[in-house]
Amino acid sequence: MKRHMLFELSLARRFLEENRGQTLLIIVGIGIGVAVMVFLSALIDGLQANLIQKTVGRSPHIVISNAEYAAADAVTARDGSQVLLMDATQKTLRPIVDWRSVTTAMIADERIDTVLPVVDGSGLIRRGKVSRAILLRGFDLQQANRMYCLNDSIIAGNRNAQDGSVLIGKSLAEDLRITAGDPIQLELPGREPLVVMVDGVFDLGVAAINQRWLVMDQHRVAALLGTGDRVSTIEIQVNDVLGAELVAREWGVRWPHYQVESWQQSNASLLSALKSQSSSSYTIQVFVLLAVILGVASVLAISAVQKSKEIGILKAIGIRTVSVSRVFMLQGLVLGTFGTLLGFGLGLAMSQAFVVFAKQEYELLLKPVTTIVIVIATILAATLSAYLPARKVSRINPIEVIRNG
Amino acid sequence: MVDPLIKITDLTKDYGEETLRTRVLKGINLEFKCGEFTSLIGASGSGKSTLLNIIGALDRPTAGTVVVDGTDLNQLDDDELAHFRNRSLGFVFQFHFLLPQFTVLENVLIPYMIYAGPANPTMEKRAMELLDRVGLSHRRDSRANAISGGEQQRVAIARALINQPRIILADEPTGNLDTANTKSVFTLLRDINGQYCTSMIMVTHDRELAGRSDRLVEISDGMIIRDEYLTNPTEK
Ligand SMILES: Nc1ncnc2c1ncn2[C@@H]1O[C@H](COP(=O)(O)OP(=O)(O)OP(=O)(O)O)[C@@H](O)[C@H]1O
Ligand SMILES: [Mg+2]
Repeated sequence: MKRHMLFELSLARRFLEENRGQTLLIIVGIGIGVAVMVFLSALIDGLQANLIQKTVGRSPHIVISNAEYAAADAVTARDGSQVLLMDATQKTLRPIVDWRSVTTAMIADERIDTVLPVVDGSGLIRRGKVSRAILLRGFDLQQANRMYCLNDSIIAGNRNAQDGSVLIGKSLAEDLRITAGDPIQLELPGREPLVVMVDGVFDLGVAAINQRWLVMDQHRVAALLGTGDRVSTIEIQVNDVLGAELVAREWGVRWPHYQVESWQQSNASLLSALKSQSSSSYTIQVFVLLAVILGVASVLAISAVQKSKEIGILKAIGIRTVSVSRVFMLQGLVLGTFGTLLGFGLGLAMSQAFVVFAKQEYELLLKPVTTIVIVIATILAATLSAYLPARKVSRINPIEVIRNG
Repeated sequence: MVDPLIKITDLTKDYGEETLRTRVLKGINLEFKCGEFTSLIGASGSGKSTLLNIIGALDRPTAGTVVVDGTDLNQLDDDELAHFRNRSLGFVFQFHFLLPQFTVLENVLIPYMIYAGPANPTMEKRAMELLDRVGLSHRRDSRANAISGGEQQRVAIARALINQPRIILADEPTGNLDTANTKSVFTLLRDINGQYCTSMIMVTHDRELAGRSDRLVEISDGMIIRDEYLTNPTEK
């Protein structure tokens, strides 16, 4: 920085100080704008993080299956539509034979946190006259605990699921009026009914799971179903939830004969809802930024007129045109910086007040990236909006000022 | 013979576009030597300010040259002209034109700070000496708009001197002042001219003040009609 810029800075400061009321007003104006941006971002991001957490927090982010679309050709032949090709109801699941090598390969990927091979089967459980359809799920209970937080979800029975444990969903247990330690009769297609003891009841917070799941160790389910050394699906959790799609796509390329489906694909409508929510939030922010730009530009345009006499005399005694421009750009920078600081304080206070008073179940989330973008965008906008007034005022002809007094 | 400090050759200045064009200066030839105190007089609208503004590098001539201290002003671009005004000239205007956002002392230092940034103690000392010289050192910390018109004009004179220019241009410096202030401001300019050997060109309507200069130049309708050295100044 050259030394004469210090004088430009002090000029900018004196000009701003002279119109104290105007200066404070525009700083507050920018502040409110920034506060809205901060609050809105924190609200939307918090809401979305919460929704995503709810959707996939305790469920697989990627599911690998060996699906075969049996009806696909017939459907395509009838109406020629490609959409029906992907109809999930038309597919039949085949077992995955090489699940051990798939699992080993995926664990080596450091983006992946948990890999859970699962043996699934359907059947009935019966107690007295009541019977319910179930989904029999067999997996390693230690690994499953990492994905589904099984231990923490157990509401009756031993909280530490052992390899031999049999766990059932809360709604199932209520329907059959059983609890930990009770026997149930399990009926699997093509097998003799057998009696198993329930070791625990879980509540995973999802109705479909609580109503249908009967959970056991992988090998026990495989033995019961007679599937041998094969699994139905491989469930995966990744470290970065939002990155799941990319990971899924990469592994899908590697194993083209399997379906590698990310949660984003299976929740496409949720995701597009989130996207349109985000883009409406961005739209609002862009307009807020536009208002900041217009505010700063108009205040500085007025100030430029008010200060034309001073600028004229400064030019007469030799200040350069660029210096005058910089004096006004600096004013924009100062207004933008103070406005942004104030706005951040306001925005955080608003967010805090919202958490306290609105009592929402989700937390507001202010991402560092968002913060940086808002700060830079606002300060840049304020500085650049000074450009036109600065250019105009820097071209004042000192003779006009001297002549007219 | 030594080169003159200012040499004006065949200077013309037109205002207005095409058909409405009027020639305000119609071929001026003038030379100014170091240390001269010149009064420029003439009727209103005769072109005095126009000439002074061109000498002061605030305006450009339509034709002709102004050479100051060996520099042809036509050869300089706008930024170089600004720098030239700052380093080589001091201005005193009819309207005092101090910056009300700054104190008296700061106003004196502004021509320095424009190029060199905040003043160092040496410069502050010089500014204080100049304020002392114009009799206003006791007002150094006053806001520039909190002092009287005559005082403001004296601060403007101190400001014109801060970069130690060889030439001071004054356009009706006493035009807005009462008799007492007129006398003190003129005496000040005259004394500074003697003390620092600064060339002074002053536009005035005051025949009496003009009569107390070294040299009298009269302009009428854009032409020099009189240019004489006053051998017997009436002052003192
Ligand atoms: N920007 C301009 N456009 C058109 N005409 C101008 C312009 N500036 C000055 N003039 C004309 O040039 C002529 C000379 O003006 P100038 O200001 O030099 O006169 P002056 O001798 O200083 O008069 P005064 O004693 O009233 O200050 C006047 O007729 C004026 O109207
Ligand atoms: Mg004039």
